[in-house]
Amino acid sequence: MASVAEVRAAVDAALQQVAESQAAIQAAREKLGEAQQSLAAALDGSANDAVGAAHTSLSQADQQLEECLGATLLAVEQAQTYTATL
Amino acid sequence: MSLLQELGAQLRATSDELPTGLVTVAMERLRSATELLNWVRQTSVDPIGVPQLGNAVEHAEHAAAALRLAQDAITAYLAAVGLGGDPGTGDRDWREALKPADEPAPPPPDAAPPPPEKLGSWWRKRVEELTGEAPPAAEPAAPEPGKADAAELLRRLAGGVRSGDRARLGRDLHAVSASSGLALSAVTPPVLRRLAGDLLGHEPRADDVGRLRSATTGRVKSLLPGAPPAVLETLIARVCRAPAPEGAQTHPADSAVTASVLTGVLLARLGRDASSLDPAAPEPLREPDRARKPGNNA
Repeated sequence: MASVAEVRAAVDAALQQVAESQAAIQAAREKLGEAQQSLAAALDGSANDAVGAAHTSLSQADQQLEECLGATLLAVEQAQTYTATL
Repeated sequence: MSLLQELGAQLRATSDELPTGLVTVAMERLRSATELLNWVRQTSVDPIGVPQLGNAVEHAEHAAAALRLAQDAITAYLAAVGLGGDPGTGDRDWREALKPADEPAPPPPDAAPPPPEKLGSWWRKRVEELTGEAPPAAEPAAPEPGKADAAELLRRLAGGVRSGDRARLGRDLHAVSASSGLALSAVTPPVLRRLAGDLLGHEPRADDVGRLRSATTGRVKSLLPGAPPAVLETLIARVCRAPAPEGAQTHPADSAVTASVLTGVLLARLGRDASSLDPAAPEPLREPDRARKPGNNA
């Protein structure tokens, strides 16, 4: 039979996974920033369409990661509010 | 090295080092967390953050797709300037997933010891249902197992699967804590995709679902007689990036355990040892023109 302690432990286990995902997202954003700088330095002055596409895709990736992080923060807040009511 | 060759090498390095592996790690951990919270809230009207986590997974998927587009654009540029045809350094996602997580900061000396895990019996009960193997008789004073490294655990489980020893698989699963076991569902997806790709001889596609199913179902079922068939179907669909079947809610342990067994089955099909799942191991030889036949034993 489930207990409050078990429900809380299950939510905590999920939040641990979320915390690990947040760390991975932050590390990914740092690496992405370095890649953007490296690409900008290497391809400065290029008018090739593929270069523009690469820059655009990297910016979109960074924006999506930022929004992903924001969504995880909201999720954690909501889950913590719930466990506080148990 | 000419100036152009140097530019090409720099661009290839930038493309190879894009954080696709980290984004995959984040996405799988979010999926695993969503699965667990979904199970907790099954009968509750409180969303407990599940819709927000669903949004987060979606953003991570879009980020991963944007990174792949950036890599394609860099490849297209290299081809346009006459530097195409040089292979990159291969798929790094699975290595990233199996890298040990950073050690958490040590607690202050006067801190209370962490509370014992509360999900041990919940985990062992489900492991028994999945494998048909009862947990070993517990000694009254036996402590709950601590947190194990997920990659190491995956290698251990895959080794047991290769030998076809269901009793050993059951023992290994009973011996870990729930959080260690559940963490398997976050590390396995990139590994599965890589192994399936090696077995098929190409990146898994939606039309490979049937081939992978026929290559793995029998052996997975013999080791996990209690696993709902929908769990394996969903895993294979994800590996092939095909739509996952809509179905009933499954237990959060099911996906973690089944994915680990599937990893071992694919390794067996490839004739590889579990130690090849070491992120520092050299790349196994790939023969692009000679795909293995998934229906046959390797």
